[in-house]
Amino acid sequence: MTDPTPTSTSTTWPWIVMAVAGLVTFVASMTVSPDAVQGQLSRIMYVHVPSAWLAYLAFIVTMAASAMYLWKRDLKWDRRAAASAEIGVVFTGMALGLGMIWAKPTWGVWWTWDARLTLTSIMFFIYLGYLALRRTTDDLDVRARRAAILGVLAVVQVPLVHFSVEWWRTLHQPATLLRPEGPEMATSMLVTLLIAVMAFTVMYVAMMFKRIELARLEDAVLIAEQASDGAVAGAAVTTPTIGRGTA
Amino acid sequence: MGFFSQARLITSRDLVRERRSGEVLWVTLPFGAIALLLVPMAIGTDAPLLEQVGTGLFWAIVMLFGVLISIRQTTGETQAQRDQLALTGIDAAAIYVGRATASFVLLVIFEVVLGLVTIVLYDVPVSGWWLVPILITIVAAGLSLLGTLAASIVSTGRNAAALVPLLVAPLSIPLLIGATQALEVLDLGGSSLAWVLMMIVSTLVLAVAGVLSARPLQEI
Repeated sequence: MTDPTPTSTSTTWPWIVMAVAGLVTFVASMTVSPDAVQGQLSRIMYVHVPSAWLAYLAFIVTMAASAMYLWKRDLKWDRRAAASAEIGVVFTGMALGLGMIWAKPTWGVWWTWDARLTLTSIMFFIYLGYLALRRTTDDLDVRARRAAILGVLAVVQVPLVHFSVEWWRTLHQPATLLRPEGPEMATSMLVTLLIAVMAFTVMYVAMMFKRIELARLEDAVLIAEQASDGAVAGAAVTTPTIGRGTA
Repeated sequence: MGFFSQARLITSRDLVRERRSGEVLWVTLPFGAIALLLVPMAIGTDAPLLEQVGTGLFWAIVMLFGVLISIRQTTGETQAQRDQLALTGIDAAAIYVGRATASFVLLVIFEVVLGLVTIVLYDVPVSGWWLVPILITIVAAGLSLLGTLAASIVSTGRNAAALVPLLVAPLSIPLLIGATQALEVLDLGGSSLAWVLMMIVSTLVLAVAGVLSARPLQEI
């Protein structure tokens, strides 16, 4: 176990990186020509697809960091796993929400019982469970060990979600970027999408940096609280009140 | 004492405890039966509709209420009891297997009784009767392994009783889909083999994951 060392959270470069990455995605997605069929609605794709990619990446990093924790038993790996899972949950929620906004005008419904959609929502709930599991105990080592095992097991959802469009007949379109035959898309859209994916990946790195920094401080506070909460021997013994006592 | 003797000892202990408390028989089972009674009141007592949804509803209730059976040790055991059990020297993996086996036995009973209630209340046709015992066995095995694993992970932490179902419910979906689709495919004249195989693979993965994680989790 590595004791968390309090550090400052005043590092500003991650905020700048996040803002620039967000701006790049916005400019790229708003300047590319709209899709011939879907029109302006296709712009959602430049945030939806990178969000889904980031969710995959985040949960794979959670698995790798969890495995590293189980091997090394160093809390820094636990903090990395937790930070990545938290970011993954946010971006899975974003991918689901944006997908629903896109689906209503395109498919006519907010939600359909499609394999990709259903499995993505299951993945979302499993990682919510992972985050909830981390709140069940204040013992850092116990928390890390429990979360690490779930973090390793839960990653099975990632290939299930990704390949669901190949394994089942679904309404959701098959993979257009990550497919063996290469991307299937107009060059301008492909370039924009790749810029958005890269920007989101850079944003993820910056978010990870800030979240890990914060997690280290949270752990330090927890340890300090536990040290100050220690009951003093005889603390429960109080002076007996005689008669009505004093006012 | 060998691994399987240790596991058998834990199974006997859990079953004796269940015989004394009657938690599954007198609480969870009637709770599941009440759920089967409540659903028609919510969706309407239309006989053809109930006949159509009966099988799927049975499996959904087995998944949701079966979790309560497989996690009963989470609420029934304190950390001190766990520590004491660990100090006896019994292999953590044997404890996992023993607990899951006890849950398996209870889940089979639960499924059989609820299955009969479903047939009576919903007038569900018993097609593919030869497949039903196989599905009941695999679902009971998978759910008991999954519930025991989730209960071991959460252990006696805060909100444990509520958190375990949150972890188990999404992970039990391969079993739920497999069980419902296997019977549906059979009704349509197809082969259920692929669905049954998927359920078996899921169950085996859970068994391996549970045995491998038992020792690291017992350090807690």
